[in-house]
Amino acid sequence: MSGELFVRFWGVRGSIPTPGPRTRRYGGNTSCVEVRAGKTLLVFDAGTGLRELGVHLGRRNEAPLTVHLFLSHPHWDHIQGFPFFGPAYDSSTTIYVYGPKGDDKHYQLLSGQMSNAYFPVRFSDLGAKIVPRSFKGHAVEAGDAQVHLFSQKHPGGSLGFRVEYAKKSVVFSTDNELDQLLKDKKAAAARPDELRAFPSELLEPIRDADLLIADAQYTDEEYDAKVGWGHPRSNTVVDFAGQAGVKRLALTHHDPMHSDREIDVLVSEGELRARRLGYEELEVFGAREGVTLKI
Amino acid sequence: MRRMDPRHSTVDLEELHTRVAQRVKGLRPRTERPHLLEIIEGPGKGTRFRLEQPSYDLGRGSQASLVLDSDEVSRLHAKLTRIDGEYTMEDAGSRNGILLNGIRVHAAVLRDGDELQLGDVLLRYSEGV
Repeated sequence: MSGELFVRFWGVRGSIPTPGPRTRRYGGNTSCVEVRAGKTLLVFDAGTGLRELGVHLGRRNEAPLTVHLFLSHPHWDHIQGFPFFGPAYDSSTTIYVYGPKGDDKHYQLLSGQMSNAYFPVRFSDLGAKIVPRSFKGHAVEAGDAQVHLFSQKHPGGSLGFRVEYAKKSVVFSTDNELDQLLKDKKAAAARPDELRAFPSELLEPIRDADLLIADAQYTDEEYDAKVGWGHPRSNTVVDFAGQAGVKRLALTHHDPMHSDREIDVLVSEGELRARRLGYEELEVFGAREGVTLKI
Repeated sequence: MRRMDPRHSTVDLEELHTRVAQRVKGLRPRTERPHLLEIIEGPGKGTRFRLEQPSYDLGRGSQASLVLDSDEVSRLHAKLTRIDGEYTMEDAGSRNGILLNGIRVHAAVLRDGDELQLGDVLLRYSEGV
């Protein structure tokens, strides 16, 4: 619908799919988010949640289909669903795979995972028209939406994306080790209850966003053993969102070891922290498969 | 042989498997388990809706298939649709929206124990009662 912006979570798990009763409520599929900006379909990450999105699109029978696909980076949990994405086999589908200017690495690695050592169907045998597209500088027009990209802290690098449409904004920011970007890492370690401050230039890409979907994989306690793995403490993400004036924060990239109950606790701690630090307007919640938000 | 539309392959294969199972093994498609919505706070507290149909309309209007008797509930507030045995609740353009466990959502695939607030009516969803 024109002028309306919707977000649906298809995969919210980090690292590896985790099906089973412990993860049933939040879900076990890896990273994939659908954004509908009017009639434009944008997809962020191609983790295993993408397969379910493909089934859903098949049921809706939207043909011809145009998909604007943005990959944060090509680690397994962000590309693994692509060979199982039904619309990629349909000749009426067009898929634009976006990458930084002058760099089609994402497109190449997406297709590389379908070499016949890994998968029986070749990338070149897919029916859809699959086209690499580059950002022009830091922004690109994708259908009716404008998408900005920004660099993140992750081994091998990762990209965050900000979608602007009809004066609304959604930021997709996963695999970003924010704790390595703090103004004072030692202070955050010594006094974890205090606000963890960020340089103002890091806040700009998420400034005043209506929704921030952010990697929040670890608790404070877990992080000490995972420094340099590319993921932040969830409490740090709350501080990040609060300082930037974000309205709603969806914690995602849930750790594969975290059960539904443990994610509930992590979210609850984030809510309390936001209140305690004075970010009364910031809404904190856990991203959950099958949930659609209207922005 | 009919060429299968790849976008429908998962659904088609599931249907094919069901047909094969019926023919070869004498099995029938499994019975859909009824789920339950119960009003746990607000007007109508204690009312239980046993969910067995593929879809329902929730609202205060007489046209609704699940009537919630409150002025804070829109005439047609939300729709419930069953897909693959799971119900999805979707806002039907209501005035006060839907809160899922306290979070405002447009739609959600429901899970056991979810609490849904429509106006001043709080419902709990239970699977497979």
